[in-house]
Amino acid sequence: MLLHGIASTHPPSSIHLLRSQNHNYNLKLTVSASSASQIPSSSKTKLMKFSISDKELESRGFLLKHSMEGLNLDHLNRVFVAVGFPRRDPEKIRVALENTDTLLWMEYSKTQRPVAFARATGDGVFNAIIWDVVVDPSFQGIGLGKAVMERLLEELLQKGISNIALYSEPRVLGFYRALGFAADPGGIRGMVYYLKKRK
Amino acid sequence: MLANAVVAPPSLCAGHSQLSNQLLFPYKPNYGLMRARRKQKVSPLKAGFWDSIRSGFLKNNGTQVIEPPSTLPEEEEEPMPQEIVLVERTQPDGTLEQVIFSSGGDVDVYDLQALCDKVGWPRRPLSKVAAALKNSYMVATLHSIRKSPQREGNDQKELIGMARATSDHAFNATIWDVLIDPRYQGQGLGKALIEQLIRALLQRDIGNITLFADSQVIDFYRNLGFEPDPEGIKGMFWYPRY
Repeated sequence: MLLHGIASTHPPSSIHLLRSQNHNYNLKLTVSASSASQIPSSSKTKLMKFSISDKELESRGFLLKHSMEGLNLDHLNRVFVAVGFPRRDPEKIRVALENTDTLLWMEYSKTQRPVAFARATGDGVFNAIIWDVVVDPSFQGIGLGKAVMERLLEELLQKGISNIALYSEPRVLGFYRALGFAADPGGIRGMVYYLKKRK
Repeated sequence: MLANAVVAPPSLCAGHSQLSNQLLFPYKPNYGLMRARRKQKVSPLKAGFWDSIRSGFLKNNGTQVIEPPSTLPEEEEEPMPQEIVLVERTQPDGTLEQVIFSSGGDVDVYDLQALCDKVGWPRRPLSKVAAALKNSYMVATLHSIRKSPQREGNDQKELIGMARATSDHAFNATIWDVLIDPRYQGQGLGKALIEQLIRALLQRDIGNITLFADSQVIDFYRNLGFEPDPEGIKGMFWYPRY
Protein backbone atom coordinates (compact mmCIF):
# COMPACT_ATOMS: atom_id res chain seq x y z
CA MET A 1 0.00 0.00 0.00
CA LEU A 2 1.71 3.11 -1.18
CA LEU A 3 1.04 6.54 0.14
CA HIS A 4 0.58 8.93 -2.63
CA GLY A 5 2.26 12.03 -1.28
CA ILE A 6 5.36 11.43 -3.34
CA ALA A 7 7.08 13.15 -6.18
CA SER A 8 8.60 11.48 -9.14
CA THR A 9 10.93 14.27 -10.19
CA HIS A 10 14.62 13.78 -9.77
CA PRO A 11 16.06 15.71 -6.86
CA PRO A 12 17.58 19.03 -7.92
CA SER A 13 21.33 19.04 -8.37
CA SER A 14 21.88 21.72 -5.74
CA ILE A 15 20.31 21.16 -2.39
CA HIS A 16 19.80 24.36 -0.42
CA LEU A 17 20.20 24.37 3.30
CA LEU A 18 17.04 25.20 5.18
CA ARG A 19 18.49 28.37 6.62
CA SER A 20 19.36 29.93 3.31
CA GLN A 21 15.76 29.74 2.22
CA ASN A 22 14.45 31.74 5.14
CA HIS A 23 14.42 34.93 3.13
CA ASN A 24 12.08 33.38 0.61
CA TYR A 25 9.03 33.59 2.75
CA ASN A 26 7.45 35.59 5.49
CA LEU A 27 5.76 33.62 8.23
CA LYS A 28 4.08 36.62 9.76
CA LEU A 29 1.04 36.37 7.58
CA THR A 30 -1.31 39.28 7.40
CA VAL A 31 -3.74 37.45 5.18
CA SER A 32 -6.93 36.68 7.01
CA ALA A 33 -7.61 33.00 7.18
CA SER A 34 -11.29 33.60 6.83
CA SER A 35 -10.87 34.71 3.26
CA ALA A 36 -10.96 31.35 1.64
CA SER A 37 -11.73 32.84 -1.73
CA GLN A 38 -9.48 32.08 -4.63
CA ILE A 39 -7.81 35.43 -5.10
CA PRO A 40 -5.18 35.14 -7.80
CA SER A 41 -1.71 35.30 -6.37
CA SER A 42 -0.71 38.18 -8.61
CA SER A 43 -2.97 40.57 -6.73
CA LYS A 44 -1.35 39.80 -3.36
CA THR A 45 2.18 40.01 -2.12
CA LYS A 46 3.85 36.75 -2.98
CA LEU A 47 5.10 34.82 -0.01
CA MET A 48 7.16 32.31 -1.94
CA LYS A 49 9.94 32.90 -4.36
CA PHE A 50 9.41 30.91 -7.52
CA SER A 51 12.43 29.28 -9.14
CA ILE A 52 10.76 29.54 -12.54
CA SER A 53 8.23 32.24 -13.35
CA ASP A 54 4.77 31.60 -14.76
CA LYS A 55 5.86 33.43 -17.91
CA GLU A 56 8.92 31.28 -18.34
CA LEU A 57 6.83 28.13 -17.96
CA GLU A 58 4.30 29.39 -20.42
CA SER A 59 6.98 30.21 -22.98
CA ARG A 60 8.06 26.61 -22.76
CA GLY A 61 4.53 25.41 -23.31
CA PHE A 62 3.48 24.66 -19.77
CA LEU A 63 0.19 26.18 -18.68
CA LEU A 64 -0.57 26.42 -14.98
CA LYS A 65 -4.03 25.47 -13.81
CA HIS A 66 -5.46 26.02 -10.37
CA SER A 67 -8.66 24.02 -10.57
CA MET A 68 -10.10 20.76 -11.82
CA GLU A 69 -11.67 22.50 -14.77
CA GLY A 70 -10.40 21.07 -18.00
CA LEU A 71 -8.50 18.27 -16.32
CA ASN A 72 -9.00 14.96 -18.03
CA LEU A 73 -8.98 12.42 -15.24
CA ASP A 74 -8.07 9.53 -17.49
CA HIS A 75 -4.99 11.43 -18.64
CA LEU A 76 -4.18 12.28 -15.05
CA ASN A 77 -4.60 8.64 -14.11
CA ARG A 78 -2.15 7.72 -16.82
CA VAL A 79 0.45 9.98 -15.28
CA PHE A 80 -0.22 8.43 -11.87
CA VAL A 81 0.28 4.97 -13.29
CA ALA A 82 3.35 6.05 -15.24
CA VAL A 83 5.08 7.10 -12.02
CA GLY A 84 4.15 3.89 -10.26
CA PHE A 85 0.92 4.53 -8.43
CA PRO A 86 -1.59 1.70 -8.44
CA ARG A 87 -4.33 2.35 -10.95
CA ARG A 88 -7.26 3.97 -9.20
CA ASP A 89 -10.89 4.25 -10.20
CA PRO A 90 -11.22 7.54 -12.13
CA GLU A 91 -14.58 8.20 -10.50
CA LYS A 92 -13.00 7.91 -7.10
CA ILE A 93 -10.29 10.25 -8.27
CA ARG A 94 -13.02 12.67 -9.25
CA VAL A 95 -14.53 12.50 -5.78
CA ALA A 96 -11.12 13.01 -4.24
CA LEU A 97 -10.39 16.06 -6.36
CA GLU A 98 -13.82 17.54 -5.80
CA ASN A 99 -13.11 17.32 -2.10
CA THR A 100 -9.67 18.80 -2.34
CA ASP A 101 -9.38 22.47 -1.44
CA THR A 102 -6.17 23.24 -3.23
CA LEU A 103 -4.80 21.69 -6.35
CA LEU A 104 -2.46 22.64 -9.12
CA TRP A 105 -1.52 21.09 -12.40
CA MET A 106 0.35 21.86 -15.55
CA GLU A 107 -0.93 21.29 -19.02
CA TYR A 108 1.51 20.80 -21.83
CA SER A 109 0.10 22.99 -24.59
CA LYS A 110 1.32 20.79 -27.44
CA THR A 111 -0.53 17.71 -26.21
CA GLN A 112 -3.09 19.45 -24.02
CA ARG A 113 -2.42 16.82 -21.41
CA PRO A 114 -1.52 17.11 -17.76
CA VAL A 115 2.17 16.62 -17.12
CA ALA A 116 2.45 17.70 -13.50
CA PHE A 117 0.07 17.67 -10.57
CA ALA A 118 -0.17 18.21 -6.84
CA ARG A 119 -2.98 18.70 -4.38
CA ALA A 120 -3.54 19.45 -0.71
CA THR A 121 -6.35 18.47 1.61
CA GLY A 122 -7.00 19.83 5.07
CA ASP A 123 -9.31 21.85 7.24
CA GLY A 124 -8.70 25.07 5.37
CA VAL A 125 -7.47 26.89 8.46
CA PHE A 126 -4.75 25.12 10.39
CA ASN A 127 -3.49 22.03 8.62
CA ALA A 128 -2.87 20.89 5.08
CA ILE A 129 -1.48 17.63 3.71
CA ILE A 130 -0.04 17.42 0.25
CA TRP A 131 -0.82 14.33 -1.83
CA ASP A 132 -0.29 12.94 -5.32
CA VAL A 133 2.69 15.02 -6.35
CA VAL A 134 3.58 13.75 -9.81
CA VAL A 135 5.45 14.72 -12.94
CA ASP A 136 5.10 12.72 -16.13
CA PRO A 137 8.34 10.75 -16.52
CA SER A 138 8.92 12.30 -19.94
CA PHE A 139 8.98 15.74 -18.33
CA GLN A 140 10.97 15.06 -15.20
CA GLY A 141 14.22 16.75 -14.37
CA ILE A 142 13.40 20.20 -15.71
CA GLY A 143 11.93 21.76 -12.57
CA LEU A 144 8.22 21.14 -13.08
CA GLY A 145 7.78 19.31 -9.79
CA LYS A 146 9.47 22.13 -7.95
CA ALA A 147 7.36 24.70 -9.80
CA VAL A 148 4.13 22.93 -8.92
CA MET A 149 5.15 22.51 -5.29
CA GLU A 150 6.20 26.15 -4.91
CA ARG A 151 2.87 27.34 -6.23
CA LEU A 152 0.90 24.91 -4.10
CA LEU A 153 2.77 26.16 -1.04
CA GLU A 154 2.10 29.76 -2.10
CA GLU A 155 -1.63 29.08 -2.32
CA LEU A 156 -1.69 27.41 1.07
CA LEU A 157 0.27 30.21 2.67
CA GLN A 158 -2.02 32.80 1.07
CA LYS A 159 -4.93 30.99 2.68
CA GLY A 160 -3.22 31.39 6.01
CA ILE A 161 -2.35 27.75 6.43
CA SER A 162 1.13 27.35 7.80
CA ASN A 163 1.06 23.79 9.07
CA ILE A 164 1.80 21.94 5.85
CA ALA A 165 2.72 18.29 5.86
CA LEU A 166 3.21 15.41 3.51
CA TYR A 167 4.43 11.82 3.34
CA SER A 168 7.56 11.32 1.32
CA GLU A 169 9.00 8.20 -0.22
CA PRO A 170 12.62 7.71 0.83
CA ARG A 171 14.07 8.51 -2.59
CA VAL A 172 12.53 11.98 -2.80
CA LEU A 173 13.26 13.20 0.71
CA GLY A 174 15.92 15.48 -0.75
CA PHE A 175 13.47 17.01 -3.20
CA TYR A 176 11.18 18.02 -0.37
CA ARG A 177 14.00 19.08 1.89
CA ALA A 178 15.14 21.52 -0.78
CA LEU A 179 11.66 23.01 -0.73
CA GLY A 180 11.80 23.57 3.00
CA PHE A 181 10.33 20.39 4.38
CA ALA A 182 11.85 18.64 7.38
CA ALA A 183 11.31 15.01 8.34
CA ASP A 184 10.21 14.06 11.84
CA PRO A 185 10.51 17.53 13.34
CA GLY A 186 10.77 17.35 17.10
CA GLY A 187 10.36 13.61 16.92
CA ILE A 188 6.91 13.69 15.34
CA ARG A 189 6.43 10.60 13.18
CA GLY A 190 4.06 10.01 10.33
CA MET A 191 1.98 6.90 10.96
CA VAL A 192 -0.35 4.87 8.80
CA TYR A 193 -3.13 2.47 9.76
CA TYR A 194 -2.42 -0.98 8.42
CA LEU A 195 -5.02 -3.26 9.97
CA LYS A 196 -7.74 -2.57 7.47
CA LYS A 197 -9.29 -5.52 5.74
CA ARG A 198 -8.11 -6.02 2.19
CA LYS A 199 -10.94 -6.56 -0.27
CA MET B 1 1.83 26.99 17.56
CA LEU B 2 2.95 23.76 16.00
CA ALA B 3 1.22 22.08 18.91
CA ASN B 4 -1.76 22.19 16.63
CA ALA B 5 -0.01 19.79 14.32
CA VAL B 6 0.55 17.32 17.07
CA VAL B 7 -2.04 14.66 17.01
CA ALA B 8 -2.03 13.95 20.70
CA PRO B 9 -0.81 16.19 23.48
CA PRO B 10 1.89 14.89 25.79
CA SER B 11 -0.67 14.38 28.50
CA LEU B 12 -2.72 11.88 26.56
CA CYS B 13 -2.25 8.62 28.35
CA ALA B 14 -0.91 5.76 26.31
CA GLY B 15 -3.57 3.64 27.93
CA HIS B 16 -2.37 0.96 30.28
CA SER B 17 -5.88 -0.14 30.94
CA GLN B 18 -7.73 -1.30 27.91
CA LEU B 19 -11.36 -0.91 28.57
CA SER B 20 -13.22 -2.82 25.94
CA ASN B 21 -14.75 -0.64 23.29
CA GLN B 22 -17.55 -3.08 22.66
CA LEU B 23 -20.89 -1.61 21.89
CA LEU B 24 -22.85 -1.53 25.07
CA PHE B 25 -26.05 -0.67 23.38
CA PRO B 26 -26.93 2.00 20.89
CA TYR B 27 -28.13 5.00 22.75
CA LYS B 28 -30.71 7.51 21.71
CA PRO B 29 -30.43 10.41 24.09
CA ASN B 30 -33.24 12.86 24.49
CA TYR B 31 -31.20 15.95 25.07
CA GLY B 32 -30.43 16.76 21.49
CA LEU B 33 -27.16 15.03 20.78
CA MET B 34 -28.76 12.83 18.20
CA ARG B 35 -28.36 13.98 14.68
CA ALA B 36 -28.40 10.85 12.66
CA ARG B 37 -31.42 9.35 11.08
CA ARG B 38 -29.70 6.03 10.84
CA LYS B 39 -30.99 2.83 12.28
CA GLN B 40 -29.30 1.66 15.40
CA LYS B 41 -28.46 -1.92 16.04
CA VAL B 42 -27.82 -3.83 19.18
CA SER B 43 -24.62 -5.80 19.45
CA PRO B 44 -23.92 -8.61 21.89
CA LEU B 45 -21.54 -7.92 24.71
CA LYS B 46 -18.29 -9.76 24.87
CA ALA B 47 -17.33 -11.56 28.06
CA GLY B 48 -15.17 -9.63 30.42
CA PHE B 49 -16.61 -6.24 29.74
CA TRP B 50 -19.14 -6.24 32.57
CA ASP B 51 -16.44 -7.33 34.96
CA SER B 52 -14.56 -4.21 34.18
CA ILE B 53 -17.33 -1.88 35.18
CA ARG B 54 -18.99 -3.89 37.93
CA SER B 55 -16.81 -2.27 40.54
CA GLY B 56 -18.45 1.03 39.79
CA PHE B 57 -16.69 4.23 39.00
CA LEU B 58 -13.12 3.34 38.17
CA LYS B 59 -11.09 6.35 39.10
CA ASN B 60 -7.60 6.08 37.74
CA ASN B 61 -7.67 2.36 38.02
CA GLY B 62 -4.95 1.91 35.52
CA THR B 63 -4.19 -1.68 36.35
CA GLN B 64 -7.18 -3.29 34.73
CA VAL B 65 -6.20 -4.93 31.48
CA ILE B 66 -8.81 -6.47 29.28
CA GLU B 67 -8.10 -8.34 26.10
CA PRO B 68 -8.85 -5.87 23.37
CA PRO B 69 -11.22 -6.95 20.66
CA SER B 70 -10.15 -7.20 17.08
CA THR B 71 -10.24 -3.83 15.41
CA LEU B 72 -11.10 -5.30 12.03
CA PRO B 73 -14.62 -4.24 11.22
CA GLU B 74 -16.83 -7.04 10.09
CA GLU B 75 -18.99 -6.72 7.04
CA GLU B 76 -21.57 -4.23 8.23
CA GLU B 77 -24.58 -3.98 6.05
CA GLU B 78 -26.18 -1.28 8.11
CA PRO B 79 -24.42 2.00 8.72
CA MET B 80 -22.88 2.46 12.15
CA PRO B 81 -25.01 4.25 14.71
CA GLN B 82 -23.74 7.75 15.16
CA GLU B 83 -23.78 7.46 18.91
CA ILE B 84 -22.37 4.61 20.95
CA VAL B 85 -22.32 4.18 24.70
CA LEU B 86 -18.79 3.15 25.55
CA VAL B 87 -19.03 3.05 29.31
CA GLU B 88 -21.83 2.95 31.80
CA ARG B 89 -21.12 3.08 35.48
CA THR B 90 -22.97 3.87 38.65
CA GLN B 91 -21.33 6.04 41.24
CA PRO B 92 -21.67 5.42 44.97
CA ASP B 93 -24.20 8.26 45.26
CA GLY B 94 -26.45 6.63 42.69
CA THR B 95 -25.49 8.88 39.82
CA LEU B 96 -25.40 7.07 36.53
CA GLU B 97 -22.58 8.10 34.26
CA GLN B 98 -22.34 7.24 30.61
CA VAL B 99 -19.51 7.97 28.25
CA ILE B 100 -20.84 8.34 24.75
CA PHE B 101 -18.98 8.30 21.48
CA SER B 102 -20.42 10.31 18.63
CA SER B 103 -19.27 10.88 15.10
CA GLY B 104 -21.97 13.43 14.46
CA GLY B 105 -19.52 16.21 14.92
CA ASP B 106 -21.61 18.53 17.01
CA VAL B 107 -19.03 20.34 19.07
CA ASP B 108 -19.51 23.54 20.97
CA VAL B 109 -16.34 25.53 20.37
CA TYR B 110 -16.43 26.90 23.89
CA ASP B 111 -16.60 23.38 25.30
CA LEU B 112 -13.71 22.43 23.06
CA GLN B 113 -11.71 25.41 24.20
CA ALA B 114 -12.27 24.42 27.83
CA LEU B 115 -11.11 20.91 27.01
CA CYS B 116 -8.01 22.20 25.23
CA ASP B 117 -7.25 24.33 28.27
CA LYS B 118 -7.44 21.23 30.46
CA VAL B 119 -4.86 19.38 28.42
CA GLY B 120 -2.67 22.44 28.21
CA TRP B 121 -2.95 23.26 24.54
CA PRO B 122 -2.45 26.85 23.45
CA ARG B 123 -5.61 28.73 22.61
CA ARG B 124 -6.61 29.31 19.02
CA PRO B 125 -9.06 31.88 17.64
CA LEU B 126 -12.54 30.45 18.06
CA SER B 127 -13.66 31.45 14.58
CA LYS B 128 -10.79 29.46 13.12
CA VAL B 129 -11.56 26.50 15.34
CA ALA B 130 -15.16 26.59 14.20
CA ALA B 131 -14.07 26.72 10.57
CA ALA B 132 -11.60 23.88 11.05
CA LEU B 133 -14.32 21.71 12.57
CA LYS B 134 -16.73 22.59 9.80
CA ASN B 135 -14.14 21.70 7.18
CA SER B 136 -13.26 18.40 8.81
CA TYR B 137 -14.58 15.24 7.22
CA MET B 138 -15.34 13.72 10.57
CA VAL B 139 -15.40 15.03 14.10
CA ALA B 140 -15.62 12.41 16.80
CA THR B 141 -16.43 13.24 20.39
CA LEU B 142 -16.69 11.66 23.78
CA HIS B 143 -19.24 13.11 26.12
CA SER B 144 -19.89 12.24 29.71
CA ILE B 145 -23.56 12.20 30.64
CA ARG B 146 -24.42 12.19 34.30
CA LYS B 147 -27.92 11.38 35.43
CA SER B 148 -28.74 11.86 39.06
CA PRO B 149 -31.85 10.31 40.60
CA GLN B 150 -32.35 13.60 42.44
CA ARG B 151 -31.95 15.86 39.44
CA GLU B 152 -34.74 14.30 37.43
CA GLY B 153 -34.50 15.19 33.75
CA ASN B 154 -31.50 17.43 34.36
CA ASP B 155 -28.61 15.55 32.89
CA GLN B 156 -25.10 16.89 33.07
CA LYS B 157 -23.36 16.67 29.74
CA GLU B 158 -19.67 17.34 29.36
CA LEU B 159 -17.26 17.11 26.45
CA ILE B 160 -14.41 14.90 27.60
CA GLY B 161 -12.72 13.87 24.40
CA MET B 162 -12.39 14.73 20.75
CA ALA B 163 -10.61 13.68 17.59
CA ARG B 164 -11.14 14.84 14.06
CA ALA B 165 -10.14 13.75 10.62
CA THR B 166 -9.69 15.62 7.38
CA SER B 167 -10.12 13.72 4.14
CA ASP B 168 -10.64 13.86 0.41
CA HIS B 169 -13.68 11.62 0.87
CA ALA B 170 -12.16 8.95 -1.33
CA PHE B 171 -8.62 7.83 -0.57
CA ASN B 172 -6.93 9.49 2.37
CA ALA B 173 -7.85 10.67 5.84
CA THR B 174 -5.62 12.29 8.43
CA ILE B 175 -6.43 12.37 12.10
CA TRP B 176 -5.74 15.56 14.04
CA ASP B 177 -6.26 17.02 17.48
CA VAL B 178 -6.79 13.94 19.59
CA LEU B 179 -7.48 14.87 23.16
CA ILE B 180 -8.98 13.33 26.29
CA ASP B 181 -9.80 15.17 29.50
CA PRO B 182 -7.00 14.34 31.97
CA ARG B 183 -9.61 13.17 34.51
CA TYR B 184 -10.70 10.49 32.06
CA GLN B 185 -7.30 9.37 30.86
CA GLY B 186 -5.89 5.98 31.68
CA GLN B 187 -9.23 4.23 31.18
CA GLY B 188 -8.95 3.21 27.57
CA LEU B 189 -11.22 5.97 26.33
CA GLY B 190 -8.63 7.44 23.99
CA LYS B 191 -8.20 4.03 22.49
CA ALA B 192 -11.96 3.61 22.12
CA LEU B 193 -12.30 7.03 20.56
CA ILE B 194 -9.71 6.31 17.90
CA GLU B 195 -10.99 2.80 17.28
CA GLN B 196 -14.48 4.09 16.62
CA LEU B 197 -13.19 6.89 14.46
CA ILE B 198 -11.19 4.41 12.40
CA ARG B 199 -14.19 2.16 12.14
CA ALA B 200 -16.32 5.01 10.86
CA LEU B 201 -13.69 5.96 8.30
CA LEU B 202 -13.25 2.40 7.06
CA GLN B 203 -16.97 2.06 6.73
CA ARG B 204 -16.90 5.00 4.36
CA ASP B 205 -14.24 3.18 2.38
CA ILE B 206 -11.43 5.57 3.20
CA GLY B 207 -8.54 3.19 2.82
CA ASN B 208 -5.57 5.31 3.82
CA ILE B 209 -5.79 6.54 7.41
CA THR B 210 -2.82 8.57 8.58
CA LEU B 211 -1.72 10.77 11.42
CA PHE B 212 1.34 12.48 12.87
CA ALA B 213 2.27 11.42 16.36
CA ASP B 214 4.37 13.03 19.04
CA SER B 215 7.16 10.72 20.15
CA GLN B 216 5.42 10.07 23.48
CA VAL B 217 2.31 8.68 21.85
CA ILE B 218 3.81 6.60 19.07
CA ASP B 219 3.29 3.41 21.07
CA PHE B 220 -0.30 4.41 21.82
CA TYR B 221 -1.01 4.52 18.10
CA ARG B 222 1.06 1.42 17.40
CA ASN B 223 -1.25 -0.47 19.71
CA LEU B 224 -4.16 0.81 17.69
CA GLY B 225 -2.79 -0.52 14.44
CA PHE B 226 -0.71 2.35 13.16
CA GLU B 227 2.79 1.93 11.82
CA PRO B 228 5.43 4.65 11.72
CA ASP B 229 7.33 5.21 8.48
CA PRO B 230 5.84 2.31 6.54
CA GLU B 231 8.23 1.26 3.79
CA GLY B 232 10.48 4.11 4.85
CA ILE B 233 7.91 6.75 3.97
CA LYS B 234 8.56 9.76 6.19
CA GLY B 235 6.25 12.42 7.49
CA MET B 236 7.58 15.87 6.66
CA PHE B 237 6.55 19.36 7.68
CA TRP B 238 7.22 22.67 5.96
CA TYR B 239 9.50 24.87 8.07
CA PRO B 240 8.28 23.50 11.39
CA ARG B 241 8.72 25.73 14.40
CA TYR B 242 11.02 23.40 16.26
